[in-house]
Amino acid sequence: MTLTAKQYIHNIEQTAADLGNISIMELCGTHSQTVAQNNLKSLLPKNIKLVSGPGCPICVTDQTEIDLVIELAKYDIPLAIYGDALSLPGSEASLEDLKQQGKHIFTVYSVADALTLQKDWPNIVLFGIGFETTAPMTAWAIQQGLNIFSSHKYFPPAMSALLASEKINIDGFIDPGHVSAIIGTQIFQQFKIPQVISGFEALDMLETIDILLKNIKNQNQTVVNQYKRAVNDQGNLKAQKLLKEVFENRDTNWRGLGMIPKSGMKIKAKYQKNDAEYIYRDLIEKFKKTYQPRPSACRCGKILQGLITPGDCPLFKKICTPENPQGACMVSVEGTCRITYENRQ
Amino acid sequence: MKTDNKTIKIEQGSGGAQSAELIAALRNAYHLKNNWTNQNDDAAVYDLGDKKLVFTTDAFIVDPIFFPGGDIGKLAVCGTINDLSVMGAQPIGLSVSLVIEEGFSRTDLQKISESINKISQKTGIPIVTGDTKVIDKGKIDKIEITTSGVGLAHDIISNSGARPGDNIIASGDLGEHTAVILSKRFDYQTDLISDCQPLTTEIQSILPYLHACKDPTRGGMAANLNEIADKSKVKIVLSEKNLPYKKAVTSICNLLGLSIFDLASEGRFIAAVDPDKTDNILAQLKNAKIIGKVETGSGLYLKTSLDTLKEIRPSSGKLIPRIC
Amino acid sequence: MCLAIIGKIKEIKGQMAKTDIDGITKKINVSLVDIKVGDPVLIHAGFAIEKISAQEAGEIKNDFNS
Repeated sequence: MTLTAKQYIHNIEQTAADLGNISIMELCGTHSQTVAQNNLKSLLPKNIKLVSGPGCPICVTDQTEIDLVIELAKYDIPLAIYGDALSLPGSEASLEDLKQQGKHIFTVYSVADALTLQKDWPNIVLFGIGFETTAPMTAWAIQQGLNIFSSHKYFPPAMSALLASEKINIDGFIDPGHVSAIIGTQIFQQFKIPQVISGFEALDMLETIDILLKNIKNQNQTVVNQYKRAVNDQGNLKAQKLLKEVFENRDTNWRGLGMIPKSGMKIKAKYQKNDAEYIYRDLIEKFKKTYQPRPSACRCGKILQGLITPGDCPLFKKICTPENPQGACMVSVEGTCRITYENRQ
Repeated sequence: MKTDNKTIKIEQGSGGAQSAELIAALRNAYHLKNNWTNQNDDAAVYDLGDKKLVFTTDAFIVDPIFFPGGDIGKLAVCGTINDLSVMGAQPIGLSVSLVIEEGFSRTDLQKISESINKISQKTGIPIVTGDTKVIDKGKIDKIEITTSGVGLAHDIISNSGARPGDNIIASGDLGEHTAVILSKRFDYQTDLISDCQPLTTEIQSILPYLHACKDPTRGGMAANLNEIADKSKVKIVLSEKNLPYKKAVTSICNLLGLSIFDLASEGRFIAAVDPDKTDNILAQLKNAKIIGKVETGSGLYLKTSLDTLKEIRPSSGKLIPRIC
Repeated sequence: MCLAIIGKIKEIKGQMAKTDIDGITKKINVSLVDIKVGDPVLIHAGFAIEKISAQEAGEIKNDFNS
């Protein structure tokens, strides 16, 4: 980054003056956090809109999966979960509720913590949430003998789904920085839209928006890598190899986006002895026979596509709050609803 | 999601919004009319005429009970001493109640008692009464300590005294106690030690210049400055360039996905101070720094290094690590 | 969707490395990267996911007016 914040903002204003109303989607929830923590929206010209996308693994976890994991907990299967997932609301209760009822649910910072817990709880299951940045850790842990319930997802298929949707009106993407560090930059070339892979400091994002607006103006769809210090074109080959070794793709439901083909990471058959979906297949079969997800007025789905804002949801602030989340977008610190709730400004 | 009102939730003890609801509900149950004031502050006040009696209590459970820079004993007495001190009182006596798990080490109890005594000696504040209970193994985690204290004050520093134009100061770097406590749980090494210490001398040395004062324990700066802003009906704006946190503390928050504003300190105070006397304060307290300003309006905000304003809300209180 | 922080490799032992993160030391898993002592790395969920260009691992100034 060679310019100052002031200079980037000046450039952004100059380019924006030649454009109509522009919508940029920051795909990654951590980018949404940078935007919120620095109130970047207040620095942008009025015709440039930033919209949060579905890059929040907690937010896009399907209701059925959450209820399934909760079912495992109800059967006294010990769970290791990343802290982000603790308050995810199931149809009847959250994992936090079950923890307080005495179920063995442990929050972990890393899979290493889960493996340590395994010494006391041999059948502990890690609830694997996250995209290509986090899935390699899970893959490594499976090879160490940890049981996993995989809710991991590949991110690029979601980008395809967004672009294929007629409802969405986005002029450019801010691509996820750390997913790119793993998968590289080439894979994004398939998407015919101006896009920039961005770092996570405020200055990174200002430079990104500067570049992106210029490319939107010129209709330049070449993928630009603004986060060169962490992302190289090839990505992390070791991590990619590990992912290929352990996971294969499957069709999976994303909250709000519906079923996205080949977007889920399923544990390969050779690791089935550590795959919770295989180990507990009878329990899961029984659960699915009678399961009906509870209908809810939660509109997370539309929010994740950038079609509406949290204020448009009838539950927002009135019933749905961080203490009593009705949907995943309020649970996650990166969730659009949570960010909006916590920023009155 | 259904909220269950039949049982107490762990969040209700964390110092955040849900704690406030529980406390309000409990207060509603104790409604004997009385002449005490400041019952929503760090300590309650009784007007004796020529001076004011200040009274407070606090319960302590911490894991680990021994940590770099202190132990549960030191924490317990400093906590109550500081609650009295931030009200402007000079503590005159403390009580110490112990609930000890059967099987607890006598040596550990000795060490804890020595810690308590050390603070008492250093501050000249005597332990004048107490209680001791031993409970069946497994019914409590090692030891719980409750301390109460009384103090005397001429003028009370209320949390509702901040005025537009005041400077916000921190008496030193914040968050180090929490950073030390988390290190065992999340398996990292740090040279940081707990900031646990008594604050009476520091506060007494600048008493006339303080308009509002709190020690940012549970809930950190977020909860405590929001409380001052709410009660004083002002807006507080912190400056990102002057935030009082060591790099190591910020690192821990970045690593675990926590907000620095939620970290507790056990031997620091934050205050709204007379802007004309701030230089006197900084001369008196070598580690203090100006971290923000009081303005008209409401809420707690951070002025970022990009000159934008970002609101800081109190969190739920629990410190849970994140990866996203 | 991915919190990550930069740390510097201090000592390597098999798959694990002691890393300095601005004054705190944490052991992280380095099996996904090729690194040596002194390298700055990006850390996510207890693993190093990428080596950072040392030149750019310095302080990033966000000063609006600089």
